[in-house]
Formats: sequence, structure tokens, C-alpha cells
Amino acid sequence: MMKNAINIEHSELIWLDEHHEVSMGELAELSGISIEELHQLVESGALIPNNLTENKLSDAWHFNSHCIVSIRALSRLKNDFELEPNVLGLMLIFLERIRMLEHRLNKI
Amino acid sequence: MKFKDYYEILGVARTASSDEIKKAYRKLAHQYHPDVSKDPAGEAKFKEVGEAYATLKDKEKRAAYDELGRHPSGQEFRPPPNWSGQQNGQAYSFDDIDLSDLFASFTKGSHHAQQGRNMPIPGQDYELTTQISLEDAYQGTMVELSFTVPEYDSQGQLKRVPHTFKARIPKGVTNGQKMLLRGKGGKGSNGGKDGNLYLNISFLTHRLFRVVNHDLYIDLPLTPWEAALGATVKVPTLQGAVNLKVPAGAKSGQKFRIGKRGMPKHNHEQGDLYAVTQIVVSANPTEQELALFKQLADISIFNPREHFD
Repeated sequence: MMKNAINIEHSELIWLDEHHEVSMGELAELSGISIEELHQLVESGALIPNNLTENKLSDAWHFNSHCIVSIRALSRLKNDFELEPNVLGLMLIFLERIRMLEHRLNKI
Repeated sequence: MKFKDYYEILGVARTASSDEIKKAYRKLAHQYHPDVSKDPAGEAKFKEVGEAYATLKDKEKRAAYDELGRHPSGQEFRPPPNWSGQQNGQAYSFDDIDLSDLFASFTKGSHHAQQGRNMPIPGQDYELTTQISLEDAYQGTMVELSFTVPEYDSQGQLKRVPHTFKARIPKGVTNGQKMLLRGKGGKGSNGGKDGNLYLNISFLTHRLFRVVNHDLYIDLPLTPWEAALGATVKVPTLQGAVNLKVPAGAKSGQKFRIGKRGMPKHNHEQGDLYAVTQIVVSANPTEQELALFKQLADISIFNPREHFD
């Protein structure tokens, strides 16, 4: 089989950690969770934008890029288990707690 | 194309109702879902279970699947002539694809055809792990990434196509770092966006250094006389060796910090290197060395186990 030409592109590389941020639109696009669902997650307190206290409109909210990992997992679980919207916030809190505990465990 | 028995995968009879299929899927999903299970084989198993459910939960796909007949799992087969999966004049080559590709494409080509033919369909996301050396992580590196994705060719036939491209890993990555390469996953169709590639960075084990976040640790073996008298010893770092002054009376397990000789951070700062002392003796001492140790043992009043009494 022929291989595709090798492309050297690195402008679109996004770091998924606590030092880099993504916008609301990017988070929706990359995680597969809709803007409306992200709004509900923020309203429930499960997801906190970095600039929530600055009275910014939701379009201008930004988030640590590491949350893409948890919210993408949430999106998979939602689709694969056909979850009800009202459990997503609770599930995100648990996913984040697991992520943090695993991170701390890896440091030991 | 190899046959997969979707009923067998879900553990249900071929006559199972939709509810029975759903119930069986949920039970297996709880067991094998990669976001739930820690079983390393769980992800592959869940993929199989998800694939079976995606086909059997859909009435039309299930009917088309049933029409393929029953074959032993893994047996090579071709769909019968005029199989209802080939609709809208769409013919499949059946080469280089598997059953999951066929039924994933069936959604686009058949029962949602009128409504969905021109609907944008986003490409699939993929996740890969790449292993790099500590030296490469220290200075940044290019990695070649390869995986295969199902894609339509210019004749509209579905094929598995190898994707190979290079990505630059910038310096400052940590072990376990996750990165995202936008648009490097599966191709979208009908104007749908290409999927993304999630890349996990894993460091290869280094023969000298251990990594903890951005700090490095190295075991520093010392002879008993270096520990007792003090010494200046060469310590390797990723930027070349440095001289470390070990004070007299060093103990095993003492940590000496060598500043800014660890891994680079994203903000242009740098972690530290810690040299951890280990006092060692030769496994094959000479007769003269043994005699001198004996002499030391005879005259020494040092008792390291004094606190036991």
C-alpha cells in the first residue's frame, strides 16, 4: 500500500495541561460536548472557567486545556451509556477527582 | 473480510429483542469501557462490544447483518450478491476494510441516505502513545506517527489508509504529558471536520536518570573513604558532567541538589537534578584492601547500631 506523503505540521499542536487555555468554542469542538451542555456544566459548578469572576460573557470564557481530557471522557461516557444530561455535572466532578488522584499517585 | 459474530460478542441469542441487546451491551460496557475499566485488554474488548451494539441496535443494520448469514468468527467471507447493504448504487470493494468499516459506512449510504447524504460527518478521533528518550524530551524532537484509518477513495470506495506524518514534540514535555494534534485524526466527509489525534508522551526508561515531574534523580555511588573523607566527584547531567563536592561524613540516601540541571519547563525555567548517595564496597576486593579494612575494623570505635541498644 502507498503511504500518504509525510506532512510536517506542528502549528496545531495543543498542550493539554494546566498551563495552557482553550476557549469555550474550542472546548466544545474538541470534546464533543455541546455549548449548551458546557453552559449547564458551568451553571452546576462542575466546570469553572478561569475568568468567571471577571464578569465576562460566556463567549469569552476560557478554561485550562487539561479539562479537554475529562470532558472528552464525559462525552464518550454520555454517548456510550446514553446518559441523562442531569448526571453529567456529577460525573465530571468524579472524573476530575479521579484525574487529580491519579496525578498525585504518579508523583509518589 | 473476516466475519464477526456480533450476537456472540454481546452474549445474546440471534432472536434477542432490542431490550435484551441493550441490557447485554450496558452490562459489558460497565465491564470494559476504557473510561471505567483498568483492564488493559478492556479497550479492545469494548471496541468490539460497541461495534456489535452499533449494528444490532439499529433495525436496518441488524437486518442487513442478519442477511450476511452465520459464519464462524474470524472466517473470511464476502457478502452475498445483491446484499441489501449495497444500496444507492454504492458498491463496496470489500478489500482492505473490516466489518465495522462496512456498517459504519452503511449509515451514510442507506437508511439515512436522503436526509443524511450531504450531512457533514466529522472524522474520528484517534489516540496514540509515543515513547521518546529523556535526551529527546530535553531538547525537543520530531516523532513519526503511523496509524490506519478508514477513508473513501476517489471512486467512493471505503479503504483502510495508512496515515504517517511527523510531529514536533517541543522541549518541556513531561512523562505522561497529553497533547492534541488538531485535524490529524480520521478524515471528515461531506465537509465535516477532520478528527483530532490525541498523543500521549511516555518517556523511555533511562539508564541513569529517574524523572519526577521536571526534576531528575541519579544514584551517586561513593566509596566508604569518599563518604568518610569527602570528595569532589563527577556527576553526569543531560548538559554534560558537573563536579559535585561531597562533604566529609556523607551518609547513604543523602540528596544533593544540582540546580537547573533537570528537565526544561514550558516557562523557560528548568527543574533540578538530585544526586542520591549510595555507599558501596567492591564485590571483589584485593587482599591488600581486605587487610586494610580488617585493620580499620580492629581500631574503629564507631558503632552505627548504637541506638538499637
